[in-house]
Amino acid sequence: MKILSLIAGVLMGAALIYGSLDMPKWGDPHSPASTHVSPYYLQHSIEHAATPNVVTTVLADYRGYDTLGETTVVFTAGMACLLLLGKRRKRQGK
Amino acid sequence: MILPFDLILVLFVYICAIAAITIKDLLSAVVILGAYSFFMCLLWTQMAAIDVAFTEASVSAGIGTVLMIGAVSKTKRRSND
Amino acid sequence: MFEFIVSYYNYWMYIGLMMIGFYAMMAKRNLVKKIIGMNIFQSAIIFFYISTSVKKGATVPILENAHGHATHGIEHGANAINVMQYANPLPHVLMLTAIVVMVATLGVALAVVILIYRRYGTLEEDEIMKLVRRG
Repeated sequence: MKILSLIAGVLMGAALIYGSLDMPKWGDPHSPASTHVSPYYLQHSIEHAATPNVVTTVLADYRGYDTLGETTVVFTAGMACLLLLGKRRKRQGK
Repeated sequence: MILPFDLILVLFVYICAIAAITIKDLLSAVVILGAYSFFMCLLWTQMAAIDVAFTEASVSAGIGTVLMIGAVSKTKRRSND
Repeated sequence: MFEFIVSYYNYWMYIGLMMIGFYAMMAKRNLVKKIIGMNIFQSAIIFFYISTSVKKGATVPILENAHGHATHGIEHGANAINVMQYANPLPHVLMLTAIVVMVATLGVALAVVILIYRRYGTLEEDEIMKLVRRG
């Protein structure tokens, strides 16, 4: 079982290394990830939200619904922990 | 990003990851996982992601370690592998 | 050759961490060890996303010379913001969310592990399966 999982892990690593050769170079300023949407956020953060920290602006203003969903996930996880571990009242007899 | 500093941090991250999955004492494994999170946090600081770094330091290395120590203290501490 | 390694080694680093986590999730029989492997796997994925946001020679995405008032930025159009100077903020935001979700997942998984220990008295997967098959 251990040898089988080792083989599966190495196969996955080889496939990912083969895929990583098509990635843009590390630290390339003109990679597609850093030229498409994020320059808009960097340029308009001050005039839209008056906040110098761009991460805060994107987190709370541009993508506020995302943060709302994250809060929902954390709330659901807390409720699940409470329901799983809370003292259960035994209701027997009927 | 500074190349030698990055390589040293990545080396420490690898040592912590391999130690965390091979040690048989679960409490030690959990504490080493906390150290792994802190090294990860240093790695992200030198990649200019400071917000992610202090979220990792407070949430993943703080609350995560506390949760895992609580779970280990409620269950068994020894593990067979 | 050296240039090639320097421009791609960061991706290989995260692939190695991901392999360690994957192996721990499959081969280890202890349930807490499996959860530790899951944690390593998730931080490897976050490592990959953060490394796509790096620009060479860029600083943290906090704007310099910002006065904190909206009108200043519009009036003084001269000090335009150089985008190449700051790292890409978008992966940072998404991974901030991912870290919090990671800890929420960890909490629920540990609660399930504690329940399994209360029911079966052990954390080893093969012993649990033996007890389950016996009925």
